[in-house]
Amino acid sequence: MSTNNQQAGQSVDQSTHFEVERFLVQEARALDEERFHDWLENMLTKDISYQLPTQEVRYRRDKKVLGNSQTTYLYNDNFGMLSMRVARLDTGIVWAEDPRVRNRRIISNIDAQWADVDGEIEVRSAFILFRSRMQRDQATHYGIRMDRLRKEEGQWKLASRVITLDQRVVLDKNIHCFF
Amino acid sequence: MKPINKLVQQEGAIQDRAIFWDEDIYQKEMEEIFARCWLFLTHESIIPDDGDYQATTMGEDSVVVARQKDGSIKAFVNSCTHRGNAVCFSDGGNAKAFTCPYHGWVFGMDGSLVDVPLEEQAYHNEIDKSALHLKKVRVESYKGFVFGTFDEEAPSLKDYLGGMAWYMDSFMDAPGGCELIGPPMKSILDCNWKNPTENFVGDGYHVGWAHASALEIAGGPLAVAKGNAVYDAETSGLQVTVPEGHGFGVIWEAAAALHAGPVYEAYQKWLDERSPLIREKMDEHREKFYRGHWDAAIFPNCSFLYGTNTFKMWQPRGPHSIEVFTWTLVEKEMPEELKQMIHTDNMLTFGTAGILESDDGENMEQCTQSNRGYSTRQGTLYIGMGQGHEYLDPELPGLVSKGWVNEAPQRGMYRRWAEFMEGKPWSELSTTAQLEQKK
Repeated sequence: MSTNNQQAGQSVDQSTHFEVERFLVQEARALDEERFHDWLENMLTKDISYQLPTQEVRYRRDKKVLGNSQTTYLYNDNFGMLSMRVARLDTGIVWAEDPRVRNRRIISNIDAQWADVDGEIEVRSAFILFRSRMQRDQATHYGIRMDRLRKEEGQWKLASRVITLDQRVVLDKNIHCFF
Repeated sequence: MKPINKLVQQEGAIQDRAIFWDEDIYQKEMEEIFARCWLFLTHESIIPDDGDYQATTMGEDSVVVARQKDGSIKAFVNSCTHRGNAVCFSDGGNAKAFTCPYHGWVFGMDGSLVDVPLEEQAYHNEIDKSALHLKKVRVESYKGFVFGTFDEEAPSLKDYLGGMAWYMDSFMDAPGGCELIGPPMKSILDCNWKNPTENFVGDGYHVGWAHASALEIAGGPLAVAKGNAVYDAETSGLQVTVPEGHGFGVIWEAAAALHAGPVYEAYQKWLDERSPLIREKMDEHREKFYRGHWDAAIFPNCSFLYGTNTFKMWQPRGPHSIEVFTWTLVEKEMPEELKQMIHTDNMLTFGTAGILESDDGENMEQCTQSNRGYSTRQGTLYIGMGQGHEYLDPELPGLVSKGWVNEAPQRGMYRRWAEFMEGKPWSELSTTAQLEQKK
């Protein structure tokens, strides 16, 4: 049951906003620093849904779904699939990550509202992810993330994330990085 | 530039490194290969209704492929015949016409010029609209897969596919046929278009090594290939190259083997239920191919993995860059839930964020980029594995090699590349039919 100051769609209070911001910044830091187990175990709920649909270039008026083609997700992961990706990075034989890729995440424009489920928060944030590899390999990804946060045992955790990449053609050789 | 006929030697086993780097060779490829070959455009299932269309490229030529009122499919170059502007700026959709945003010329979904602003007042009704049709692309389909060519002299698509069609029937002609799920993912690789095509056409060799990390954690039955720990050349599979330049490698009984857990179980159940139908409709050979996992390529730049079910186009963007388009290949009659599971798995493995795709991308780029060095580029590259051990099988089209680790299909691809680059007319290009006569 929502209390008066936690109505769905209403911006969260200042101290909650501070907590949300700290969570997102600390999450970005954990990923930058490749603390993937910290991320999995302490920052994600076990029922997480993690999605990144492809961007499509369509005329504004044209909404037709073509054939059997609804959406293609570059990421459409649950906790097990995310764990599998982390386990792969742990093998030590991911040639594309050795030497390592230097990832730098900038998180901004954080806008948090109470969700329609008691105590959950919907957060929209903008991101820029800079990837640097080898001598001068550079890729920049940017877009927004629609997150849902839930408090478990006193800690905010990510329960779902939908990432919108603005680029249609992903200008990178891979995006096996987390957003 | 060396003489064209010296760039590929020893029946395709040795290539001059310049073919992965030089601008003049690349431009020659655009002329001799991409303006002549049948190139994959889309699948009929993606544009089922009147006015449905997809935008894509043939080489670097922007084209639109559209479903017509009469149900046929036409394609045309996406460039206004007035001043050359593009007339379509979207990935695809449904439209009644395309209007050029520059001066407002309107083209029908068949590419014909239907309306010109100020036709009476400024052109005095003297403009011959019929002569200003968008440049036409010749279109044919094979089992729902739509291809286009700019060459009126090219043989039929079926003849172009040659012996490869017989093999691809194993799944393309399964009851109900196949479809592609999109919209395609698109990403870039700073590599030459031939590097990924040769990887898919026959490079079983890299699987156990390049993909060791993914095989270790993916957990499907194919995981035994990690680090080349288990490989039996006699019984594991085959490689096939056909004179038309297409080819593939197959691992027996492994169609679903890169999937894990419930996806593997559901897909394997489907294969077990359906493979008797393949035998009934075709023969025991095709049933066996239907149950195998393939890496494959259709010359010059279409590739797929049957079983993992990724379907790709490597769109050239200069000698050192490509755009990668990726769809998911499924059988039409599969349950919707199985299709979606395979679609999700394809993205997990061979999508832009895929755990196998990213291993390949780095290799493709460096294979091309190392040729930037002038002195490096003076050398050659070698794919002679198993050369001389190919054989003619009385029951299988093309040249066959034992085992799925081999380089015969890559050699076949470069042999074909050289034939085209020498500018031979279609009548002088080798065919599966000629090979059949040697049996």
